[in-house]
Amino acid sequence: MTAATWLLRRLVASVGIIFAVVTFVFLLIHLAPGKPCTFGEQADPVVCKQLIQQFGLDQPILEQYWRYLVAWAHGNLGYSFSLHRPVLDAIAETLPFTLQLAGAALVIDFLLGLGLGIYQAARVNRLPDVVLSNVTLFIYSLPTFWLALLLLLVFGEKLGWFPVGGPNDVIFCPSVNSFYCVLDRLWHLVLPAATLGLVGAAGTARFQRAAMLEVAAQDYVRTARAKGLPERRVVLRHQLRNALLSFITRFGLAFPFLLTGAVLTETIYAWPGMGRLAFEAILTRDYPLVTATALIASTVVVAGNLLADILLGLADPRLRVRAGADIDVVTA
Amino acid sequence: MLAVAAPSACERRGGCTGPNCGTLINAAVAEPATLLPPSSEDIVSNDIDEQLFLKLADVGMSENTVGDEDFQPLLAQKWEWDGPLTLVFHLDARARWQDGQPVTAADVEFTFNAYNDSIVASPFRPKLHRIASVTQRDSLTAVFRFRERYPEMFYDAVYHMRILPAHLLRPVPRDQWRTAPFGRQPVGDGPYRFVSWQAAQSIELVADSTFFLGRPGIRRLIWRFTPNLQVAVQQVIGDQADVREQLVTPDNVNRARAAKQLAIYTYRGNVYTFLSFNQRAADDSAQPHPIFADRDVRRALTMAVDRASLLKSALGDLAKVPPGPMSELLGIWDPDIRQLPYDTAQAGRILNAHGWRDHDGDGIRDKNGQPLAFHILVPTSSVLRKQYAQLLQEQFRTIGAHVEVDALEPTVVNQRVGTGKFDTAILSRSNDPSPSSGIAQTWTRAGFGGSNFGRYYSPEFERLVDRAVTATNRDQARVFWRAAMETLNADAPGIFLYALGNVAAVHTRVDNVQFRPDSWAALLRTWRIPPDRLIDRDRVER
Repeated sequence: MTAATWLLRRLVASVGIIFAVVTFVFLLIHLAPGKPCTFGEQADPVVCKQLIQQFGLDQPILEQYWRYLVAWAHGNLGYSFSLHRPVLDAIAETLPFTLQLAGAALVIDFLLGLGLGIYQAARVNRLPDVVLSNVTLFIYSLPTFWLALLLLLVFGEKLGWFPVGGPNDVIFCPSVNSFYCVLDRLWHLVLPAATLGLVGAAGTARFQRAAMLEVAAQDYVRTARAKGLPERRVVLRHQLRNALLSFITRFGLAFPFLLTGAVLTETIYAWPGMGRLAFEAILTRDYPLVTATALIASTVVVAGNLLADILLGLADPRLRVRAGADIDVVTA
Repeated sequence: MLAVAAPSACERRGGCTGPNCGTLINAAVAEPATLLPPSSEDIVSNDIDEQLFLKLADVGMSENTVGDEDFQPLLAQKWEWDGPLTLVFHLDARARWQDGQPVTAADVEFTFNAYNDSIVASPFRPKLHRIASVTQRDSLTAVFRFRERYPEMFYDAVYHMRILPAHLLRPVPRDQWRTAPFGRQPVGDGPYRFVSWQAAQSIELVADSTFFLGRPGIRRLIWRFTPNLQVAVQQVIGDQADVREQLVTPDNVNRARAAKQLAIYTYRGNVYTFLSFNQRAADDSAQPHPIFADRDVRRALTMAVDRASLLKSALGDLAKVPPGPMSELLGIWDPDIRQLPYDTAQAGRILNAHGWRDHDGDGIRDKNGQPLAFHILVPTSSVLRKQYAQLLQEQFRTIGAHVEVDALEPTVVNQRVGTGKFDTAILSRSNDPSPSSGIAQTWTRAGFGGSNFGRYYSPEFERLVDRAVTATNRDQARVFWRAAMETLNADAPGIFLYALGNVAAVHTRVDNVQFRPDSWAALLRTWRIPPDRLIDRDRVER
């Protein structure tokens, strides 16, 4: 099998996975108790009934599903009941915010996690390693929402170092200039990205430490040391490069974590991203919006995993597909 | 770098320094779905619509809804009665839509027809059913004709409708109003103009300096949306917002009091919370409920609850025990209204007399094999109501009733309550200033299939409500309302737990702060920030 065939097969499988996720979410949210207009406690039942008819929610679920697929095929993700606007518009506005948050969190996660993992592996079972192992375990065990509230309380309310929620200063950003807005966005991004990134970095550090130690026992590392290479070169060139496979695997796994973590983080930090949109859509039983956010999230996760598989093949020749070989890519 | 860049930018542009400067940021916990008034169902959209769209007249600080003497003119400069069923409004000729068109009687007629159109599905429609028609006599004269004579005719004519621009909305098919662009970019006739709506972030309004009733004191209003109440309160405490109109919990109030830049204001609340007894079986609404259909059992359970202690432990002095189904906003609030006393001994005797005894010694009363056991339904979104459910569980346990608390998502709670699939539920209701519509909808047969979820029915109560609603003056109405409330309390269709008072935090630089209890934002245009108290964010020019 050639690499192109492998990629095509993966792409077809990815589309199938996304379709299955969307179908599952569509059915699940429609079968869940609660109806779109029962969110407001004082919603008038007569008005509610009218709206249900207006949006076609009184039709059989299979008919609704079929209509949804037809609209989907035409690039129409439907109308949001709760936002009173096209779903596509709502997604287009929120997705960039989630990507910014997830991107910043990913940078913190991998830079910090990788650095700590390497540092700990180089000092295995010594005091810094023991302390950092416990600290990373502690952070990894923290619920995201709790860490978010704690950071807000300390650095937002008490110390006043960072803004309490939102993506920008609503007064100065529109009034000054775009450079100010970029800096302002980064300043607003610090706490939410740190919340997501720190928990991720704690996990990455533990993964990376284990991978580094596994490689440290290999013959080629011992040989490198025996040759008299400087320790720095042994660690970074021989040990780290071979330990990167688990890091790339973790890269693929990071997407679901970031997207689920974003739901709580965005809600607490009033970050106008897709996670908060999805959360509010679920609470209000906004069926088209829930299904659309599931579509986008599953696409991002599938794409992330596909990218990780490709990177694994690039990083390790043993994992590449070979023409004529009856094997698929092996993921670490 | 940011701290230096921002002030220097506003200095470079000169900045606003006069008496009508100022920016007010409200930390709001929800985002409106639309700003189109007939479809504005949530509190925040109503607050913003207060600034954009005028009513013909509005209630005054007295909140008196009987007659017309306490109402304040807005779009209508004056009005007169032309016979017992005809009310004539004369519009202020100075009123303009923000696109320059004059506000006319045609707009008033159009508005009434739109609010009454079933396609628009306005939640305010049921409140207008006693108005037969609205027509235009000339371009500045609108005529309301009523189906019957009653004391709150004027209130119904002016309170529920915000006048809409017919020239902008007539071309839009009514079935598309909820999704029309107008709802996100409205053109109004109020003291503020719409500027921008950043989805999930903020809505900005700017003062209309030519507003015919006087230039608003604060130049710019911003609603900043924060889905979490605690974070919204933190924004005000952290000086990143200026107003949080409801702090809700004692802890939030204490934290806000400790912030030097905040002033605390209290005003009457418009919400009451109660435990509703479903008088129909949860699994078959055609059958009576095996426990709560019995008036005496409901009375006994009510007498088993020490509402004052529950209130003290959960809310301190932020709320009061309501003397019936009402918030403090209503003029009929009277602590002397007769209520069932807290008396567990008497409650026990009543239950014994009705055969509810602990026959098998398991600590739970039973009768004919049916244990005195039921569920309390409560939404997960309300920490306070969950806390109350647990406290009630404990109080009911002491008289031999077994209670399970079902904390479910709000949508699920509302669906189950709406379809009668519950034993008891802790519900909250907000009042508008008149008891007439809300109490009738929730506690009479008119609310069957609607808001009377517990299906309470008492012919005597309904007779007294009818008398109160048709009373010719406020004092007479109060007498009938009091009698009606005492009848309802004696029937115990629910346990009235707490009526929250409102505590607001506002930045100390803001002057002339007034909260009208039914709508905190109704008088925002009169708030001011004196020039010597302006801070950087007040001076920024756009």
